Amino acid sequence: MSAEIWLGLLSGIAFGFVIQRIGATNADKMARAHLMMEGDIPRFMLMAVLLSSVGLLGLQAAGVGRTLIIPTSLVATGVAGILFGLGWGLSGYCPGTTWAAAGEGRMDAVFALLGGLAGTALFAQLHEFLIPLLYAPTNVGQITLADWFGSKPLAVAVFVIVFGICIWAIGILWGRGEDVPKS
Amino acid sequence: MQKNNQTSPYWKWLPAAFALAGIILFVFATYGPPASSSGFVSTLKGVLQTVAPDYVAENAHYRMIPDTGSWLFAFVLGMAIGGFIAGRTFSIPVRDIPEIWEKRFGGSKVKRFAATFAGGFVILFASRLAGGCTLGLFISGSTQLAVSGLYFGVLIFGIAMLTARFVYRGAGGGIGKGEK
Repeated sequence: MSAEIWLGLLSGIAFGFVIQRIGATNADKMARAHLMMEGDIPRFMLMAVLLSSVGLLGLQAAGVGRTLIIPTSLVATGVAGILFGLGWGLSGYCPGTTWAAAGEGRMDAVFALLGGLAGTALFAQLHEFLIPLLYAPTNVGQITLADWFGSKPLAVAVFVIVFGICIWAIGILWGRGEDVPKS
Repeated sequence: MQKNNQTSPYWKWLPAAFALAGIILFVFATYGPPASSSGFVSTLKGVLQTVAPDYVAENAHYRMIPDTGSWLFAFVLGMAIGGFIAGRTFSIPVRDIPEIWEKRFGGSKVKRFAATFAGGFVILFASRLAGGCTLGLFISGSTQLAVSGLYFGVLIFGIAMLTARFVYRGAGGGIGKGEK
């Protein structure tokens, strides 16, 4: 129990530090990423996921770590994605960045955090009504790309290529941020 | 907007992505899939169970997430500490109102704080419905090749981009490619 707390705290400190250094806790930079003016934050996010997917394949080959696939509910995951996008585009914060940005001393992030606690409380109150209504009927289960491609290494390879193309495209389509593209 | 150059205190995206991937893999190895919206539930559960223990004990949502004595709460608390340390060692001071927001809506703190409160409310309500957020569903899920994470990721990026276009329409800075 105690080790778990220390590991969580250490991981959080490192995570919060890195996302501040890329500018993800800065709602001005996040808005500029959404407006296609600066591509650094989306390229950073997608590249981190790409690298993690390859690394996780290695961890699993070594028998290390724990995974958990969240099920896909066509309606609930879809409605949630749309609502989340509205809130993210409006505020420039997502759940993780509010903590780091509040720690950084940004007062608007403190209000985003308080709003988040209120939104959590409302959902918890409505959980037993909304989950059977929106989540359960269109829950297609814990599906992954490995199920579709029939092989995990093949799925990771396809995933890496698609994410690589997205990162390359963002570098071209988004305006120039901190990092001037080589091409 | 001033032109950014090589002296920018922000990290380059590629080395930063390697750093974050290292942290994500460390979390997978030592705990499991990283998550942050669950930390809101842990926080609330820790507070509410001291004042309304029966409500928390009977609520299905609080039953599925551990309270503040957990990795989930330690992680979000750590993120606040990490943000604090990073902010104290950074050359650009923080602003309570982002520049782009001030250009569009003026310097009213009430307006900005009301907007971020509403935004925070919606993103957490949505995250709890989906079972995760940018980190817990998109990043953790996509790393595991979960269809839920990819589906959620496409929607949150697409809708946030459209929303930002609407929110900042006509903002003086000139919005679009090649502005900088």
